[in-house]
Formats: sequence, C-alpha cells, structure tokens
Amino acid sequence: MRRIAILAAGLIAALSPVAATGQSMTPMRGEVRSFTDAFAVRVFPGNPYNQRIRVEVHVYDQDFQPVAARITPSAFLLAGQASRPVLVVVPFDGANERKVRICTESIPFPSEQTQIRAQICGKFFGHRRF
Amino acid sequence: MKFFRVAMAASLLAACAGQTASAATGNVLFNGTITATCTITINSNGTMTVSSNLQSLSSHNAGGSAGSAQVDTTGGVSLSVDPVTTTTVPASDTTATTWTPTFATSGAQTIAETGTATALTVPGTSTVAVNLAGTKSGTNRFSAGNYQATVTLRCE
Repeated sequence: MRRIAILAAGLIAALSPVAATGQSMTPMRGEVRSFTDAFAVRVFPGNPYNQRIRVEVHVYDQDFQPVAARITPSAFLLAGQASRPVLVVVPFDGANERKVRICTESIPFPSEQTQIRAQICGKFFGHRRF
Repeated sequence: MKFFRVAMAASLLAACAGQTASAATGNVLFNGTITATCTITINSNGTMTVSSNLQSLSSHNAGGSAGSAQVDTTGGVSLSVDPVTTTTVPASDTTATTWTPTFATSGAQTIAETGTATALTVPGTSTVAVNLAGTKSGTNRFSAGNYQATVTLRCE
C-alpha cells in the first residue's frame, strides 16, 4: 500500500506542469487586410524546453494596454518542443487600421527571489477594407 | 533489291550523322523568406542580497547573482525589460522601494548593461544577464523577511 502511495506521489510530481519559463512565437510580424469589423491572426507559440510549460497569450496596443481581443485558446499547457496554433481576433473598434502586439508569456519559476518572465511579442498591423 | 536496301540504310545513316542531340536547359528557382524570430529560454533566476547600509537590495551586491536567459534570434528584434510591478515584501516593510531592472548580453551580440530597449541585430545565440536592484531613500531601510520580484524580459 505504501509503495502504491509513493508511486502515485511520484507520478503526480512527474506529471504536474513544470513552471519553467521560456517562449518562442511565430510569426512576429504581420499585416492583415480585413473586410469585417475585426481582423484575425494565427500565431504559433512554441516551447523550447523538453518538459511542458504553461503558456498565456495576451494582446496589447502600442502602449501596452490590454486589448479586448478574442484569443483561442488564451492559456494552455504546451508539451516540450511543441507548438500549437492560437487564433487571435482583434476588433478594429471603429478605426480603419489598428496596430497590436500579440504576446506569448510564460509562468516564472516559483520560490525564487528574482523571477524572470519571458515574453515574446509580435507586432501586427490590421487594415480595414470596405 | 538488296542493293536498294543497303543504299537506303546508308543514306539514312548519312542523314543522321550530321545531327547533334538537342538538349534544353531551364533554371529552377528557390525562394525563402525568414521572418524575425526570437526564442527566450530562462536558465536561472536571480538572487538579491542587502547592502551593509540596508538601503539596497540588489543582485549586484556581494553574494547576489543575476538571472540568466538565452535568446536565440534571427536579428531584427529588440530586447527590453519591463518596470517591476509584481513584488512581494515582508509585512514589516511599509516604506517605498524603487525597483530598477537591467539587462546585459554576451555571445552573438554584446550589449552593455542597460534598462532601455535595445535592438538585437546580430543573428545567433546571446546570453542575457538580468539584474534587479531595489533601493530605499532617506531613513528607510529594508527589513528582515522574504522579498520577491518578477522581471519581464521581452523580445519583440
């Protein structure tokens, strides 16, 4: 029974998400023409580690203020050496063009005095066509 | 009849002998476009220690260490650190602290320690040292307890 408990604890430790930080994202530049009230960008966050990490995708304007964009998915676990598509739909909010930063962020190591959060930001330019 | 066949064969051979084999050549073009890419891998976090006058808590102080990260890029990107907004301080510390994050790189591109956004123009792998310094002014002092701060290292 004790062995099972130890094995279960070991498995939980092995399978729990590793809070390492590291990111990549492609593409990092883009220009989109849209005929609707929003434009869409598909980015591919990547995990350069061999273990899975938690990734969050955020959208900011040029002043790094959050933009109410639709991000699918906005937070997820990413397997080691893997990447996955994330669809970002950015509203023009009445403007004819909009510049945004789409940023892939990671969760820092816990229990350290000075943590480093890695953030990869791509710059995207949406044009509205009528 | 036999003579006729021989004559025909000979004339055919004579007609073909002067012809060269015709071969056409064409170029196959290959195009490739590399857009800017950047990968940040955190190697280690940093450690801050307090100065003897208790007014500086920094990774530059004796016993402290910088955080380390690796940046792989094609160039055409910039590296920066954000102002520190996420900190944890002991309950006994009620005075203001000014946090100053800085970074320096070595390897593919060398950047002297700075706190402002700097272009990474050289493709390759650079090692980034991330430092953080907290300072108190006047009669304010750091107090005993655990401090923690998060520095955002951005490649864009």
